[in-house]
Amino acid sequence: MNGVVCGNWSASSSAAVYAYIIYQPLPEKEAKDLGLEIQSHKKSQEFVNAFIKHCIPNVKTLSTGEYMSRKAVVLEYSQEKKKRKQHKAKGITAKERRELKLFTVNPDQQRYHMYLPLHELWKQYIRNLCLGNRASAQPQMIQMKLLKADLHGAIVTVFKSKCPSYVGLTGIILQESKHIFKIITKEDKLKVVPKLNCVFSVEFDGFISYIYGSKLQMRASERSAKKFKSKGSIDL
Amino acid sequence: MLTALQTCPRHLLVCEKSSFLQERSRHSAHVETHYYNYCVSICLPECRLLPEKVKNIIDDFGSYYLVKNLPVNEFLTQEFNDRFLKKGLFYALSYNTRIDQDNVAAVLPTGKLILSVNKDTYEEMGLQGKPSLYSGKKAIRYIVTIDLSDSSMSPDGKKFQRVKWALTEKKPLALDFLVSWDPLDNSEQPSIQSYYSKYVVKECRFQVNSNVSRDLLCPVLKSDELHGKEGTSCSASEVFEWLGAISNEINCNNESNSFISSFCCPEPSILVEQAHVCTVTGFITPTKIQKLVKQLREYFNEPKLSQWVSIMVHGFADSPVSWRETEHGYFKGGENLYSFVIFNNEDYWLQMAVGTYDGCPP
Repeated sequence: MNGVVCGNWSASSSAAVYAYIIYQPLPEKEAKDLGLEIQSHKKSQEFVNAFIKHCIPNVKTLSTGEYMSRKAVVLEYSQEKKKRKQHKAKGITAKERRELKLFTVNPDQQRYHMYLPLHELWKQYIRNLCLGNRASAQPQMIQMKLLKADLHGAIVTVFKSKCPSYVGLTGIILQESKHIFKIITKEDKLKVVPKLNCVFSVEFDGFISYIYGSKLQMRASERSAKKFKSKGSIDL
Repeated sequence: MLTALQTCPRHLLVCEKSSFLQERSRHSAHVETHYYNYCVSICLPECRLLPEKVKNIIDDFGSYYLVKNLPVNEFLTQEFNDRFLKKGLFYALSYNTRIDQDNVAAVLPTGKLILSVNKDTYEEMGLQGKPSLYSGKKAIRYIVTIDLSDSSMSPDGKKFQRVKWALTEKKPLALDFLVSWDPLDNSEQPSIQSYYSKYVVKECRFQVNSNVSRDLLCPVLKSDELHGKEGTSCSASEVFEWLGAISNEINCNNESNSFISSFCCPEPSILVEQAHVCTVTGFITPTKIQKLVKQLREYFNEPKLSQWVSIMVHGFADSPVSWRETEHGYFKGGENLYSFVIFNNEDYWLQMAVGTYDGCPP
């Protein structure tokens, strides 16, 4: 107990000693060594006052002395206003795209044989996706993967439909949107088939899967991330 | 629920009175357009033995065929068209198929193929049809009509190719068919059996049942009183009911202790010594019925005790059409029938009755 009191005392006394040393004017000899000009006491006081007055923002009512006696002094408190970044439109809107006819396939490019390489590419992609390294995989696994896979380039057939004239349509998928498939048939005709109320059959490597279009009504990008629930037989 | 059972579902009975001698009489049209007939029953009051001529006609009915597992696309071939459709009246109706749950097909003598298919088959088949009238808001049954004799159905035509593809590759339907054929000219007859030699063909004979009732109460009819008159004659609808009871051998004595039937003969009635009821069952074509009706008209050439005879014809309950191309359904009984009451002065009454799922008879 005694020791602690003793310690405290010594600390405060040494602090007082240091303060005394710090606030001493610089000895002339040392100032000469450092090459500094020692100002007179009065002059330096004036300088400090002017400096503080300059730093403290518009405090007019209070004199500097009063202000300085306060405990918390905030120097340079004015905050810079954050400039909000303006959201810039990425590229062009869907409307503009439509006007530019980006979604339409030119009639001179509606040739079935032109898209056969795309189909080859798709087959390769599906093979990599579904089978990977293994030679055989479970049909359910393949179906799950096929459901999330990109269907551009696949040869599909409308297996069932509420509208009988769609039934039996076969071709390569050129475009997929939320509600439709654009299919090019062997007769070089571009057909637009709605996904609603249709069942599509997709064949690859002798493995035929049926896809219920009504459950597939979303964009290809959204579909890849969607979690599908397996259900039994469902109606169109 | 009980009240629902007690109320009788919608049914129609159309009665008309005319004479065979009248030029505009439609009796033959009515007989001809009721394509599929399951059974014919003839009621002859005051007659013990079937007249010889009527008996001969029934014996001459010949036979009909049951072709098992016949693909529907067989009706599309050019050979079939040339051999049967163009040279006679061809009747085919799928057998053992129920109109309210299975796929039903029929070939009308007019050369029309009618497919009554359920929703799943329709969606898969890819042929344009129209929803059934009796399957409610959400159609579960569709009627596809294909005109085989139409000029647009030429073998190279797009329509024909589509139909052929749908019935051969897309959805091959194979059903058991009852087949009958009436050639227009009797010169040469390519038999059904030889044409369908690839398939199992069963030749069927008509079943004939004769029944003689003794001391029967028989309603009094007057040919010009269709609606009947109190005390003098019975109306057509009463007679129709009585004929039904007679052909089903229902006891009409109205005994107080009978729990099965409380039906009695409509008033006024007379007691006849005997009545002959002859029933022929099979796949009967309208041509045969025409012959029978004609023969029954000649029945009165010789003086007879009774004033009238009747012939009642029942259609198939599961046929897709009743008269002409009027859609037919089953609901509770699928009945579609007509009966002629032939009077001795060449007048006749025609009664046509249909059940709930049926259009009005012509």
